[in-house]
Formats: sequence, C-alpha cells, structure tokens
Amino acid sequence: MSKPHYDREHHVKKATGIGDPQCFKGEAGPAKFKVGDRVRVKDLPDIFYNRCQVYTRGATATVVELVYESPPAEDEAWDNCENPEWFYSLVFKQKDLWPDYSDTFANDTLETELSERWLEPA
Amino acid sequence: MSDQHEELHQPAAMVDEVSEFEVLELAVRELCIEKGLFSADDHRRWTEYMHTLGPAPAAHLVAKAWLDPEFKKTAVTDGVKASLDVGIDWVNSMPTNFGTPSDYCNLRVLEDTPTLKHVVVCTLCSCYPRPILGQSPEWYRTPNYRRRIVRWPRQVLAEFGLQLSADIEVRVEDSNQKSRFIVMPVRPEGTEGWTEDQLAEIVTRDCLIGVAVPQVGKTENDKRPVRPAVNPYKH
Repeated sequence: MSKPHYDREHHVKKATGIGDPQCFKGEAGPAKFKVGDRVRVKDLPDIFYNRCQVYTRGATATVVELVYESPPAEDEAWDNCENPEWFYSLVFKQKDLWPDYSDTFANDTLETELSERWLEPA
Repeated sequence: MSDQHEELHQPAAMVDEVSEFEVLELAVRELCIEKGLFSADDHRRWTEYMHTLGPAPAAHLVAKAWLDPEFKKTAVTDGVKASLDVGIDWVNSMPTNFGTPSDYCNLRVLEDTPTLKHVVVCTLCSCYPRPILGQSPEWYRTPNYRRRIVRWPRQVLAEFGLQLSADIEVRVEDSNQKSRFIVMPVRPEGTEGWTEDQLAEIVTRDCLIGVAVPQVGKTENDKRPVRPAVNPYKH
C-alpha cells in the first residue's frame, strides 16, 4: 500500500507574493450581509478549534465592514481551504455582551471579526 | 570548599522561569529541524530578523497621517499599502512572503476621535501587528489583560493611567481573526508646527496599542509591574 500524498505546499504556492488573506479574494461568492445589517452570533457547537469567543454567542451586533474573504480558522486548522467565507467586522454594545456593564458608560462598544457561518439575521 | 564558594562559581540564570509553552516550542522546533521543514540556520535568521522589528514604523505612520490628510485616508482604508511608505512590506518579507500565521497581511488602522477611543487586545492569545510594531509587551499576552480589558475596559485603562470621561466611547478591538490593528490616536495640543520625527517620538508603543494617549514631552512607555516567577528555575 502506498503512502498517501499530502500537498503541504499548496498554501505557500497560492499566497507567496500576494499575501494571506488577499490570496482568497473573490472566492467566497456573494456576501450574505452588508454594512449596517443587524446580525446575531450563532451558538454553534465547539468541536475542536474555532475562534468564536463565547462572550459573543447569542449577542446582536451591527456589521461595520466586510473585511476580507478567507477559509475560517476552524477549517484552515485542518488544511481545508476549499470553502472561503466573507469575514465581517462587527460592533457590539458592551451592554449587550455584559449585563452588568455600567449604564453610565452605555456608549461603550466592542469590535471583532467573525465569518459568515457564525451569523444569522437579527 | 564551602557551599557558598560553590555558589559563586555557578553561572547566573539567563531567565527566572521556563514556561511549559517555551518547552513545547523548543520540542516542536527541534522536531521541525529534524524533519527538514526548516534548518537551524533558517530559525536563527528568522529570530534575528524578528528582533530587529520595533514600533518606530508604526509611530511614523501615525505622525505622517497627522501631517498629511491624503495619507491619513490611505492609512485608514488600506493599512498594508500605507505601511509601504514607512518601509514595511507586509507581503514581501521574511520568512514566507505572504505573512506568517501570526502576522496575516491585513493591517487596519483604527482612527481615534475626540469622542472615540480604541484599545486593542487578542482575547484568544497574542495576535499583534509584529511587522510594524515589533514583539508584543509581556503584559499584552497575559490572561489578566486579555480577560479583563474586554469586560472592564475603563478600569483596566485606568490602571495604565488613562481615565476617560463618559462622553468618550471606548471601543475594544478584539483581534482574533486575520486582521491586525494599530490605533491612530488624536494629535495632542501643543504640537503645532512639529516635524514628522518630533511627532513620531511621542507616539509610543502603548499609544499604538491604545492603552495610552500621546503627550507632549512623554516619549517612553510607563513601567509595568514585574511579577516574580511562579516556578523559579532552581540552580
């Protein structure tokens, strides 16, 4: 039985001289959300690796920028680059993340990026 | 020969403590070298290169943007392009020519205003715009800072000596995907007519992370407390 062959250099070949995430530009298809949309973070199961912080789960945010297209970290961790997604920059009200956040500072916000699979319309 | 005499001949410890993660890094590095993924010499050159990096280019980027409104627009919309003007090429630099897993090529410059103050953290671990800001300070990587700044930003900023009034919106930037961030603070009063070099001097690393604001006459970061090693190395 022959040893399986893994192309360990496919990412290098694709990204050299272009940059990551720039090398995935145009691969995610049409974006589901646009700037100004209200979205809710889904509470998907935590199997293995992902970068969706627990404190954002279930919270509602506003899309402020479509930042880039890229395979999400939870796929890329397993070398799966076949399903790039749009990444969105989201702004949350701190009051929506932490119920005990002081009313005096109700204007305070938190910004972070998540990929499309984690978001649903709110 | 007394024990004390013996002690005098011991070489001084280079570090107080070697963490489990450092041991893990060493083991993985040695495996990579043994398997031929990179050579010991590659590793040495990369490490030496990393130690040449520092916050000066980012400070100049901010100073340039304060002086030139056109450049400011570029900086805010395309940080990677603006970095070229201060000598930092995110894409075509060591070791990979496409960024590294910890330095993806997507710099975003966060512009503060009189009513908006940004502060950067990576709650997952230690994402930091290394090509333009050098190595992160130790406190930036501690769970203490990472856990608390997202939940109690004003209290943590106050510990850094930065107290902000309620009419200023504090925005915490949790950088845990592929973008990396620097903060462009508001240009302080009393700097009219200053040159780019003069301005860059007061844009310290802490200002670029967002835990401090530039002040006339202040060109260094505040000292942070140094805590003793938890498991000191016994010689």
